[in-house]
Parts: sequence; C-alpha cells; structure tokens
Amino acid sequence: MQSNRAARRGGLAALAALTALTVITGCSSAGDGNQSGAGDGTGPIEIWAHQGNDAEVAALQATVDSFNSSQSDIEASLRLIPADTYTQTIANTPADKLPDVLDIDSPTLASFVYNQKLSPLSEYVDQTTIDNATPGSIAEGTYDGELYGLAQFDAAIGLLGNRSILEAAGVTIPTSVDEAWTADEFADVLEKVAAVSPSGKAIDLREGGFSGEWGTFAFSPLLYSAGGAILEDGRASGALDSDASIEALTTFASWKPYVASGQDGKAFPSAQVGLLWGGHWLYPNAKAGLGENVVALPLPDLGNGAKADAGSWTWGIGASTQNGKATGVFLDYLLNDDNVNAMVEANGAPPATQSTFADASLYQTGGDLALWGEQLAKACAADAVTDACVSVYRPMTPGYPTITARFGSALAAVYRGADPKTELTNAAQAIDSNFADNNDYK
Amino acid sequence: MTTLNLRPSAVRRRLAAARDYLIMAVVAIIMVAPIYYLIIGSFKPSEEVLNGFGGFLPVNLSFDNYLAAFEALSSDATGYFWRFFFNSFVISFVIVVAGLIVNSMAGYAFARLNWIGRDNVFVLIVLLIIVPFESIAIPLTWLMSGQRDTLFVQMIPFIGNAFSVFLFYTFFLNIPKSLEEAARLDGLGSWGVFLRIVVPNAKPAFATVAILTFLSSWGQFLWPLLMTSDPAVRPLPLQMSVFSGQLPPDWGEVFAFGTLLVLPVLIVFLIFQRFFIQSVAGSALKG
Amino acid sequence: MAESALAPAIAASSSRFRRVRRPRSNRDDTAGILMSLPAVLGLIAFIAVPFFAAVALSLFNVQVNQIRPAVFVGLDQYIRLFTDPVVSGAFLRSLLNNFVFAIVVIPVQTGLALLLAVLLNRKLRSVRFFRTFFFMPVVFPMALVAVIWRLILDRSSDGLLNSSVSFITGGLVPAQDWLGSSATALGSVILLSIWQGVGFQMVIILAGLQDIPEERYEAARLDRANGWQQFIHVTIPGVRNTLIFVLLLTTIMAFRVYDQAYILIRTGGANENATQTVLYQATNALSADNNLGRASAISVFLFVVVVIITLIQRRMLRQRSED
Repeated sequence: MQSNRAARRGGLAALAALTALTVITGCSSAGDGNQSGAGDGTGPIEIWAHQGNDAEVAALQATVDSFNSSQSDIEASLRLIPADTYTQTIANTPADKLPDVLDIDSPTLASFVYNQKLSPLSEYVDQTTIDNATPGSIAEGTYDGELYGLAQFDAAIGLLGNRSILEAAGVTIPTSVDEAWTADEFADVLEKVAAVSPSGKAIDLREGGFSGEWGTFAFSPLLYSAGGAILEDGRASGALDSDASIEALTTFASWKPYVASGQDGKAFPSAQVGLLWGGHWLYPNAKAGLGENVVALPLPDLGNGAKADAGSWTWGIGASTQNGKATGVFLDYLLNDDNVNAMVEANGAPPATQSTFADASLYQTGGDLALWGEQLAKACAADAVTDACVSVYRPMTPGYPTITARFGSALAAVYRGADPKTELTNAAQAIDSNFADNNDYK
Repeated sequence: MTTLNLRPSAVRRRLAAARDYLIMAVVAIIMVAPIYYLIIGSFKPSEEVLNGFGGFLPVNLSFDNYLAAFEALSSDATGYFWRFFFNSFVISFVIVVAGLIVNSMAGYAFARLNWIGRDNVFVLIVLLIIVPFESIAIPLTWLMSGQRDTLFVQMIPFIGNAFSVFLFYTFFLNIPKSLEEAARLDGLGSWGVFLRIVVPNAKPAFATVAILTFLSSWGQFLWPLLMTSDPAVRPLPLQMSVFSGQLPPDWGEVFAFGTLLVLPVLIVFLIFQRFFIQSVAGSALKG
Repeated sequence: MAESALAPAIAASSSRFRRVRRPRSNRDDTAGILMSLPAVLGLIAFIAVPFFAAVALSLFNVQVNQIRPAVFVGLDQYIRLFTDPVVSGAFLRSLLNNFVFAIVVIPVQTGLALLLAVLLNRKLRSVRFFRTFFFMPVVFPMALVAVIWRLILDRSSDGLLNSSVSFITGGLVPAQDWLGSSATALGSVILLSIWQGVGFQMVIILAGLQDIPEERYEAARLDRANGWQQFIHVTIPGVRNTLIFVLLLTTIMAFRVYDQAYILIRTGGANENATQTVLYQATNALSADNNLGRASAISVFLFVVVVIITLIQRRMLRQRSED
C-alpha cells in the first residue's frame, strides 16, 4: 500500500513535470512559425480596434463600411474590444491568432514588436501614405529602425482653463508655450484659483488614473521639464531617480491641497474648478459646458521649458497575416484625408497626417487648441529631449510596460505622501532589474 | 411563579426585542444602502451619482443610461448585449449542471465507497481547494490554446470543482447509513444507491452547490479575458469595461450596466430567496 | 438534520476526513473509481497539472511569451522574493497586508455573522425580511462591488461616506481620503469585503444554530442561566464545528484577496502600498514585469503558506477540542 502510493505520487509528479517542460519548450519554438504573406490583394481581412467613445466607434465603422462598398476585392470586418482590456487582450492572444490589421496604444508598440506580434508596414503600405504621416506618427510607429505603425490621430495634452475663473483669480493667462507658468507661478495660480472656485479646489488632475497609463502619459513630462528623465542610455538609475526628477515629483505632490478628487470628470465642465489637466478628448465636453470660456494652456514649466506628452493609438499589421497586400490597401484608405477628418471630427484629436493637420482649424492659428498644435509641432523622442521641444513621446522600448507600471506606482505613492526619493529610487531599480532579467530586451 | 414576577421579565423581553430590531435595522440599512445607490444611480445622469447625499435622491430619473448601455453594444463589431448575456447564461448553465453531476458522483465516491487510493486522491482534492485560479491561469492558457474563442474553453476547466466535491462529500456523510444499507440489502449496487437513495435525499446540497457555482461562473472575468476576443463567445462581465474604462467614466452608464449584470442573479434570489437561503443554510455547509 | 447524523460531517471537516475501514471483501473499486473519475480527471487536467507546471516554471527565468528561451535558475526566484531589495519590499508588504486582512477579517466577519445569525434565530417577526437584506450583497460580483464602493469612499465631500460622516458629526469631521490614505486604505478594503461576504457566513452559522435542540436552552434556563450565559454555554458549543468550518473557509479566502485590491488600486486611487496583496504581486509580475517565473514562485509560495496555516489551525482546534 505504502510503496503503491509513493509510486503513484511519483508518477503524477513526473507526468506534471513532463507536461510543464513540453509546454515550455513547445511555446518557445512556436514563435518562429509566424511569417506574414503578401497574398494577392483580395479576400477577407479582419480588423481589431479598441472600443473608444460612441462617436469614434461610429466614425471607424463608417470607414470600414465605405471601404467595403468602394471596391469588391477585399471584404473588411471589424471587431471592437473594450478599451480598458484591449491591450491585455492583444498581449494574451498568440501571434497566429491576431487579425490582419489592429490598432495599438503607441507606447506598447515596441513590446508587441518584441513579442513578434506585428509586421513591418513599409512592404504593404503605399509610400505616399507613409510620406504624408506627421513626424509624430512616424516617431511613435517606429521601433528598431523599422516602421510598424501609422496613426490617424495624435494626442494633445495640456491644461484647460476656465477664463472667467482665471480672470476672477487675477492670474496672468499664458498665450503661448513660452509663457507657461513656472513652478512658483503655478503654485500661486492654484492658491488663487482655489480661492475663487465654487468647490474651493483649483484643478482636476484625474487622480483616479495615476496608477494606470494616465499617470505616465500626463505627468512623466514633468521630469523632462525639470531636467530629469525616465531613462538615460537605457538605464533608469541616474535618470528617474536624479535630483531633477525628485524635484519634479516633489513639486507635483505639493499641489494636492488644491486638487479636486474628480472621479466623475464634472468638476471642470461644470465650473466647479478653474483648471483641468487633460487632453484633446476632454475638450468637446468642456466646450459644451463652458462655451467661449474654455482656453487651452501649456503645462507648467519646471525649469527646462514646458513639456507635454503626445502619442495615441496607431495602426499596425498582424505578424501572421496572409493577406498583406490587402491590409496595405485598407490602411491607405483608412489614412486618406476623408477618413482621418471624419475621425478627428468625432474625437477632437489633432490629425496625424500632414495634409489633414494643415487644415485642422482647431489646432491652427486662431483655433481654440492652437497652442496645443504649436506643442505638437515641436516634438521630440524621449531620448532626445531639448529645451526647445515641447511634445515628448514616451520611451520606445519593449520594457515600456514595466516603466509605466513603476512610474505610475511611484507617482501615486508620492501624491499620497510617500517620500519622492525613496519611491523614485525603488522604481528606477525595479526598471533596471527588469531590463537586466530580460537581457535588455535584445 | 406569580404574576408579579412575570411582568418585569415581559418588559425585559420587549426591551430585548426592541434592541434586536434596532441592531438589525441599522445593519440592514448598511447592507442595502450601496445596492440602493447602484440602482438609483443607474437611472440618473452621471454627474448626479457622485453628489454626496444627493446621490441617494430619486431625481432626474430616466432610462437613458440603459439605452446607452444597449446602444454601445449593438453592432456586429462590438457584439450585442443580448448575445453577451446569452453567452454568460449558457456558460454558467453548463458549468452548474455538469458540475452537479460529476462533483456529486465524486463526493459520493469519497464519502461512502471504499476503493483503492481513495484517501490519497481525497487529500489531493482538498489541497486543490487552496490553489487560487490566478496562479494557474497562464499555464492553463497554454494547455488550452487550441480552444481559444470558444464557449467550450470557458466551461470545461470549471466543471470539476474541488470545493463542490468537498461540499457534497460532507453532506453525503450526513445521510443516515441505514437508508443505504437497507437499499443494498434490496439488491441495489453502488450506482443504484447513489441515484435512487442518495440523490433524492440531497436536494439542499445540490441547491447549494448550484447557487455557489452559478454565482462564481456568472462573475467570471480573468479566464475569458485571457482566452477570448470574439464578441460571439465573450461573456457579459468583460464588457463592463466599455463603460468603466473610459476616463472619466460615465457613472450612470456603469451603474446601469452593473445593474443589468447583477439583475438576473438578484431576481432569481428574490423569487427563490426562501429556497435560496434555506438551501445554503440547510446544506452540507453546516458541517 | 439530526445532531447525531451531523457528527461524522463535523469530524470530517473540522479535524480530519474520515477513514472508513471496511472489511476487504466489501470494496467498490469499480464504482468508486468510475464515479470519481470525471471530476478527478478534470481537476488533475485543469488545476493540478497547471499547478505543477507553475511549480516547474518557478525554477526558471521565463517570460510570458518566451521570446527569450527559459533559463533554469533553481530556487533563485524564491530567494529573490526575500532578499532582492527591488522585489522583496513590495512582496513582503503584500504578505503583511494579507496577514492583517486575515487577522481582522476572520474574527470581525465571523463575529458579525454570528451576531446576525443569533438575532435572526430569535424568530422575531419579519426576520425573513432582514435575512434577505443581510444576504443580498453576496450575489454581487466583486468587480461590481469595488466600483460601487470606490464612489462611496470618494475622498471629496461628494463621497457618500464622507457626507454621512459629516452629517452625523455635524460637520466636525472633514472629508477623509479613505482609500488613498495609508492609515485607512486597507481598512476600507476590509470594510467592503466584509460587506460583501458576511451574509454568506451568516446563513451557514444560522443553519448551525437551528440545529441546536431547544431542550438545551430550556435546561440552561432551569439552571438560571441568563442570556449571556446561555450564549456562552449553549450557543457557542452548539455551533462550534460550524464556526471552525467558517474559520477555515475565511482563512483561505483571506489569502486569495485580489479583485477588489486590483480594481481599487488601478482605477480607484487606492493606496497601493497599503492595499496590495500577494496575488496582486503575482499578476503584477506578469503584466508589468513579463516575469512568469517570479509570478509562479509567488503563487507556489502563497499555496504553501495557506497549507501551513490551515494545518496549524486544524491542529490548534483539534487540541482544544480534546481538552
């Protein structure tokens, strides 16, 4: 009985170990089999996209429908996945089960390339389409010298102000990026605006999302503005935990007494607070609530010029498509002026093709968001930040998921009273340790 | 005992009852307040949900949030609300029914039958109760990668359930042995005893396991997130992030969707609540 | 169900499962194996095998998608959980949070459930009405519970809890950041977890109470025992085994806390340091660090911890029952 039992246990363990090993070796070789094929440019193609707001969904669906009725060779079908779980869904889906065309949250593009989930675009997309992309679109779609993504629209980040409240507070209102409030001025502005705002608070930072992507998207530019950075030569230590970066988050945490909790986003559009740290997608709602009182402002300047993030969703081709030509035809269509204009009309975003951006009245001189348009025109990559550039794209590295998780955690902790130096040092070490564990993602 | 002695005790009893009612009323208010908040909020515009005590007031009520929730899930691309609902229902139904069959059989085999290796296998089952699903999810996705985007893959891993086996096992130990022994003397085999004697006497156990399994499979999130992308097979809870994922979320719509998500369970609960609670109460759990 | 019939069940769940020693001639090998086979096979295939795979994976430096080949590192992942400053700080804090959660929730939730069950068992009028309300939160999925409570606990004066506190104290207590402050964050998570879970334990205990024969109370009253003495000497011993069952179940649940922590940290502004749990660390290792080896090591470690705690609890309870 005893030996019987032992034998059975041993057998079970051996079986399990064998399964585990099969699983490990089986999957490590599975990645090699994904080869995209050009196909003959006809047939069905599948498209996955995140489910944004209703207007965006309608615009995208209209594009797909009109594409299908404009020609008879290719039949495109669209699948929308909730935005909140979209990136996870792509990450969870093996490369050979991904669709022909998919949209990607641009900072995660490098990690999808690393995980062999995307095909380079240049083979399939028309060169004129590529040439028409804005520098920002190329920047956020390029990894390791290869183009993997092209965007319909970019993102503009900045402050939105309520002109009557700001005037009542008696603060100067910046009219260009160069006039951005300094750290001291901004502290003063917050105090004065809070004093005249009906809620007693000055600003909505949308703090509920600090631990998620919003934290990195909205507040990592403060590091650059203070002279710090997230990475320097591929290392977070010495950049993310530098004195300048610590200074930036210390300043950031000092704003808390003036911040409305903002869980439902109503504080700014209903004139309960005078300022909103946000982006283009919040403008339509603010405009509806406040009308001509809405004014676009630069983010505060912590010393090295105001900096703001940029980059949004971009379109790529699945690594295992067997219909590459057809995907190229679709992307050319998706990125033509009509479809880009329809999309930015729906979501208020700055267009990411040169021909449409030139005509985007909202972002050109005289438009409500012209100041944010100016920011986008002065763009640079995260590893080439200068005093003159304003829009800084997030770091293009397969390790981005760990960067954003660590930065978001540190940001949220500092905001709630933790020591900036400790938090940033821990975050920097965790990021570097992750890169080391993964052989620097080479 | 004289009447003089009874009187103060009657007063005391009334006071005790009053105290009990007071405690129960306070607890009941605390238990129901969040639910009321959810339901009333689902009929209100988002900005009136988070509004202090104002969030409690039934003002500005409309079905707009419900219409918006249906509207957001009403095309081939997004999938249809009723389809998600149907998927959740089918998945839960199959897990419950198949789970009742296989887990009750196993529970009986462990409780009453004498077979080789039984005790060792039972130790394994008890240990498996402790394994959290989160810790095995990734290896499980590899084992099941061939069945991605099916209803099948969302059911099969959850049919055999260690906790259900344990509950049946505990309950079957309670059924008087004399019943079974009499049946065996009448010539029934193990299967006959199980089907004719044990199952009919174990309705509360079946009800309890059915309810617990339904609750957990209706709310599933992680596994379908890992294994599905096709709206034709996705369950309802995954789609909640259509509403809660946007920043800022539209709380009215989130609450409307949340209400629709919990409503089937809540209705079943309210209609069958007597049976519901008594079965949970009257089952093997009391062991 | 009669008290006598309950005895074996009690023995099974609270101390050790019962080993029926029947004569060798009286075996049901075929039926036993066939009847248990479907469930056992399913559990082995879908839980045991993936779990053994997790044990194997915990010995490797391995990515989720395995773009880099897995590297065997022995027990390094486990050692790093405790010694690597980058990993151990958050991990040990998570472990501590789980223990605090367990130490608070187990007695408080069980005590509250017992109180409610005793009140319901007094068979006052409209008890059914109250019982319905007490049980209702149990049917709510935790994902939805977290969303509702994040609004209730909002740090602005618009939060339901803040406006209630302000109302009750006449405005003396200012609005609190219940989820964000390190002092109250874990307490808030505990509060909403108890809200959701207490009804379930209540009905289990209620079932136990209903099995206590009325004669015992009568006998106690003849001995002039007052209400409290009846509670201590009749009620508690009467539901002792039920309470043990509830205790073991709650312990397992307390170490599995995940959904509410994840949702509240990611979207509700909860204090991450104060509310992260071990399973949160495990999923973080996957989603943020692409480190399947570490995630597996954390899971395996958690499993071992819960097994050990359960064994200790059983031993302590058994000893006490033998006294």
